[in-house]
Amino acid sequence: MKRRVEIGILYSRSGNYQLVSEACHRGAMQAVAAINADPFSPIEFVPIERDPQGNADRYATLTEDILRNSSARHIIGGVTSWSRKEIIPVLEKAGGTLWYACPYEGFEANEHVVYMHACPNQHLVPLLGHIIPLYGANGFLTGSNYIWGWETNRVARDLIADAGGRVLGERYLPLGETDVSRLIEEIRATRPDFILNNLIGPSSYAFFQAYAEMSRQDDHFTPQRCPIVSCNLTECELPAIGAAGDGHLSAGPYFHDASVKEVWLVGQPEHDGSRPSSFQASAYACVKVLASTLASNGDASPSDLSAAFAQNSFNTPFGAISIDPQTQHATLPVEIGRIANGGFEKVSIAKTVEPDPYLSRYDRAKVFGRRKLKVVS
Amino acid sequence: MKRAARIPILGGAKAFVLHRPHANLNAILRQLSAIGLSATDCWPELPSEALGADFVFFDVDLGFDEQFPWVPGEAPMPIIALIGSEAPGRIEWALSHNADAQLLKPVGNSGVYSALLIARQSFAARRQLADEIATLQARVAERQTIVRAVAALSSQGIDDERAYAQLRSLAMSWQVNLEDAARRVVAMTEQEGGIDHPYRA
Repeated sequence: MKRRVEIGILYSRSGNYQLVSEACHRGAMQAVAAINADPFSPIEFVPIERDPQGNADRYATLTEDILRNSSARHIIGGVTSWSRKEIIPVLEKAGGTLWYACPYEGFEANEHVVYMHACPNQHLVPLLGHIIPLYGANGFLTGSNYIWGWETNRVARDLIADAGGRVLGERYLPLGETDVSRLIEEIRATRPDFILNNLIGPSSYAFFQAYAEMSRQDDHFTPQRCPIVSCNLTECELPAIGAAGDGHLSAGPYFHDASVKEVWLVGQPEHDGSRPSSFQASAYACVKVLASTLASNGDASPSDLSAAFAQNSFNTPFGAISIDPQTQHATLPVEIGRIANGGFEKVSIAKTVEPDPYLSRYDRAKVFGRRKLKVVS
Repeated sequence: MKRAARIPILGGAKAFVLHRPHANLNAILRQLSAIGLSATDCWPELPSEALGADFVFFDVDLGFDEQFPWVPGEAPMPIIALIGSEAPGRIEWALSHNADAQLLKPVGNSGVYSALLIARQSFAARRQLADEIATLQARVAERQTIVRAVAALSSQGIDDERAYAQLRSLAMSWQVNLEDAARRVVAMTEQEGGIDHPYRA
């Protein structure tokens, strides 16, 4: 007889980052179905779904709603850092836990959050460490105007300086803005070696289109010479970008390889237009890890989590992973992929990278090597 | 654009937390180790190893001067006050220790990281200011030496204004500041009964 456990599912089914939150939603619901169908799991999940519709102000009230009107103490949800920061105070008051399935900017380790996607030492640092030796160290930074873009670009500034490069420009667009002409003109004028893209949703899609247009006029701006690199771009948004994305790069814990059959994807139609992504994989992992924690540990309250994480490793779409009990961040693979044929070709793979959300173990020499001396003749 | 620059690297830094065993203490220790510091708790006294710490957190509610191996207000590292009761006497005591940052109790899941960064910056600013003041004070204290040097030089038959100009050019050619040059001139005057001409600029 399975134990029925209500869990909150808090993903926006509409709004600026709908493609991402749909991917998360799909992963979470797939895992719920898998757990419920698994005769060896003692848990049956009952999803309590709420839809903030992409409105940051609704996350706190809907979290409160779930925690008050159901027995759920665990919520799988949130896409933007903005929404996560809205949810946290409510969790602290009510003793709930958020299972967060998206990459974020780091510098946080809350007892009420399990961080299942990458933090900067698992996305930005290896991404710049990979591309700078190949393309050059002078970057142009862009992002949507909120904490993800600000903080990620701030770290990028330091990394670029450490690599001996210069930041040639930094431009933010309001969430949802699709007029990217000024950004494009600034990039055209400064001719960087790469562009770090922290735009989200429609702004990002519009930017890729405009950049592809510019590359037709000026061959400096081809992905081979000056790629757009992202820390949060996955398969789930490629349909909105189309061929304009080809050749550009992204970092993440997972890129889908169609030639490999993955157990967690059994049952997902192969040609329904949406390829699996790290967002889907991460939300799936959240539910999976929660189920196995609940199976051995009553209600897995925030104060029990770190002890539960200390001993265990968990089977997830990322492989067998552990979760650091100190920071509650997952140890994850780090892959860098190049967009091709509606998916990503992996150009670099690191199997397990421990989380370092405060970059306290960052070492310039390890990432970029010792500075080379110039030959003077 | 002016910015403080750099990823603040706190990994490996040492922190001492002077607080009795309590949930607040655990919350602070948890945050410190998540950030990457090595943290040691102690009560009721800071051990002498704490003199080598990079940060010290201290309890204001139950704290007293004798807990610290330094004179109140002269901690050799950034210190962070842990304030529970906001009674004026306790705040006054915390102020007497020149806390560089504060953290309000109860301590939850955040606050330690910003307290560390604020304390570090304000400690560095305070120390830089103190160094500058000490340098300036030392220079002010040499006023009399300058007067004596000018007097010694003008005793060679030049007026005060030219004697002062001469002292300045001596300082330049010796590559020392005016006060040091004055001290040398005074010393020479006392030892040899006059300034030695080969040193003249």
